Amino acid sequence: MATLRTSTAQPAGALHIGWQALRHSINWLYLVPALVFFIGYQVYPIIQVFLISFTDYHYLRPGPAAWVGLQNYVNALGDPLVGQGLLRAAAFTVMFLPGTIFVPLFLAILVDRVKNKRLSVLYRMILLIPAVIPGPMIFILWKWMYDFEIGPINHLLVDVLHLFTFRTAPQWLGNSALALPAIAVMEVWWGLGYHTMFFLAGLASIPHELFDAAKVDGANEWKMFWHVTRPRLQPVLLILVVLRFGSAMAVIDEYLIMGGFNRALPTYTWTVYMWHLGFQLGDWFQGYAAAIGWIGAAAMLVVVVFLFRIFRNRD
Amino acid sequence: MDFAKSLARPQAVAVTSRPRRGISLRDILLHGTLIFFCAIVILPLAWVFLLSIKSIGDAYTGSFWPEHFDFSHYGYVFGHIPTLVQNMLNSIVVTLSTVVLTSTCAVLAGFALVHLRLPGRALVVSLLVGSLFFPTRLISLIAIFEIQNQLHLINTIIGLILPYVTLNLAISILIMRGIFEQISPEIVDAARIDGCGSWRTLRSVMLPLVINGIIVLVIVNFVTAWGEYLLAFTLTNDQAVRTVPVVLASAFGGMGEWDWPRIAAVYIMVIVPGIVAFAVAQRWYMRGLLEGALKV
Repeated sequence: MATLRTSTAQPAGALHIGWQALRHSINWLYLVPALVFFIGYQVYPIIQVFLISFTDYHYLRPGPAAWVGLQNYVNALGDPLVGQGLLRAAAFTVMFLPGTIFVPLFLAILVDRVKNKRLSVLYRMILLIPAVIPGPMIFILWKWMYDFEIGPINHLLVDVLHLFTFRTAPQWLGNSALALPAIAVMEVWWGLGYHTMFFLAGLASIPHELFDAAKVDGANEWKMFWHVTRPRLQPVLLILVVLRFGSAMAVIDEYLIMGGFNRALPTYTWTVYMWHLGFQLGDWFQGYAAAIGWIGAAAMLVVVVFLFRIFRNRD
Repeated sequence: MDFAKSLARPQAVAVTSRPRRGISLRDILLHGTLIFFCAIVILPLAWVFLLSIKSIGDAYTGSFWPEHFDFSHYGYVFGHIPTLVQNMLNSIVVTLSTVVLTSTCAVLAGFALVHLRLPGRALVVSLLVGSLFFPTRLISLIAIFEIQNQLHLINTIIGLILPYVTLNLAISILIMRGIFEQISPEIVDAARIDGCGSWRTLRSVMLPLVINGIIVLVIVNFVTAWGEYLLAFTLTNDQAVRTVPVVLASAFGGMGEWDWPRIAAVYIMVIVPGIVAFAVAQRWYMRGLLEGALKV
C-alpha cells in the first residue's frame, strides 16, 4: 500500500526536490474540505465542551461565565441522577449487545449457505430494508408498535393470543422494567441486516476448501464454526463489539423519542439528563451538562480501552 | 454449483416437504429460519403501511387487516398539516446538500489518503478512526449549539447542513479509503506516465472505478441526514424550519390531522424514498459493500 508513486526516475536537482515537496504539500488540498468540517464541527466543539465543563456557564444567564475548576465534576459525581443514568445506560448495553452480535452472526452463517443465487440476494435485500430507514424513523415506528392503544404487539397478546387482558397488558414503554429490553429488541431489529452484511463480508473471505477439508475430517457443524469460522471472523466481531458498545452507551434519540424527559422512566439516562440540563432545565446550566457529558465519555473510553486490551491479549 | 442450479429450477423456492431432488430437512430448516426472520423484518413495515390506508374506525380496532380501506389520508395531510410541505422541502434540501458535501469531501480525502504522497497521513487516519470510538455527536452538541448561535444559524436550514456533514464524515472517508485501496497503484502510475495530474487521474480514471463505493456513500449519508433527529431537535424550535422526523416524533395519535392513519401516511411518505432508492441501487450498493466498504 505504501508504494511510492514516483517510479519515473528523473534527474534530481535542488529545484526538482523543491518542486516535489511543493507538489506533495499541494496534495493536502484534497483533504481541506473534509478537514474544515471535521475540525470545525467535531474537533473544535469537543475541545470547547471540555473547556465549558470547567465553568459555571448558564446559557440563559447574562454576563460572562467564571472558571470553577473541578466543581462541576465533583458535583456530578455526587449527583444520584448521573450515577443512575450511567447504570441505566449500562443495563441497556448489556441487553442490547449480545442480541445485535449473535443474531446477525447466526443469520449470516445461514444466508452464506443458501446456494441459490437469487434467493440469497432476496434474503439479503429483505434483511437490509431496515438499514435504509433512518434511525429516528425506526424509533417512531416502534413507539407506535409498542403503543397501548393501537400497537399491534399488545393487540396480538391480548386479542389474538389471549395471554393478557386489556388491564394486565404490558406497558412496554411505560414506567416498568420492560422499557429498556423493549428498546433493545427494536435496536436488534434495526441492525439485523446491516450486521449480517458485515459478517457475510467476513465469511466471503473464508476459502470453502477449509470447510470441505474439515468435513472430510469428520467435523460437525459446531466444530466447523468454532475452529474454522470463528477465528476468521474474530477481527470483524471485535470491531463490531467495540463500536456497538460505544453507540449503546451513548444512545439518546431513542430515549428522547420514546421516553421524553420523565425522570422516573428507565429511559432517563445520563445522555437525556445532559440534554435536559443543557437545553431545558432552569437557566440551561451548560457548564454542568458538559461535565456530565465528559464523565460519560470518559467512562466509555475506559471500557473501550479495556476491551481492546482484552482482545489484543487474546490474539 | 451445478447441483445448486438444478435444485433452484423447479420451484425449490416453495419449500415443500417432498424429499425429492435433494430437498432435505436441512434445507427446510435453513429456509424456514430465514423466511421467519424476513417476516419479522417486514411485518412492522406492513403494519404501518396498512395503518396508513385504514379507515379511521379500523385504525382503533387493532386488527391487522382493515375492513374498510381509505386512501384519502395521503392527500388529506397536505391540506391539513399546515407546515408539512415546508417540512418536507426542508428535509429534501438538508439531505441533498449533506449527501453532496459529505460524498465530495470523502472521495477527495479517500483518494489522497491512498494514492497520493501525503506527509502526516497516519495522523489523519488515526484521528478519523479515533473519532469513531468517541461519542462525538453527543458530546459536541452543546458547543455546536453555541457555534451556530454565534453565527446566527439557529433555526436555519444551513445551520443544520453544516454539522450534518460531519455526522458520517469519518466513516465515509474510511469507506472511500477502503474502496480506493482495492485499486492498484499501477493505474495511477500509468495515468501519470500518460501525463495526467492527480486531479485528472481522480476525475477521469478513478471516479468510474469507485462508483459502487460512491453509491454506498450516498445511501449511508442519505439515510443519516434524511432521518436525523438530535441536532434538528436541538438547533431548531420553529415548526416551519424543522425537518419531517422531528415533526413526526412529536406527533402522537391526536385528533383531526394528527389521527393515526394520517400520521402513518406521512410516515410512509418519509420512508419510501429511501427504500425505493435502495431497491434501484441495491446491486451496486451490495457490490460496494463487499468491495471494501465493510472492511473499515
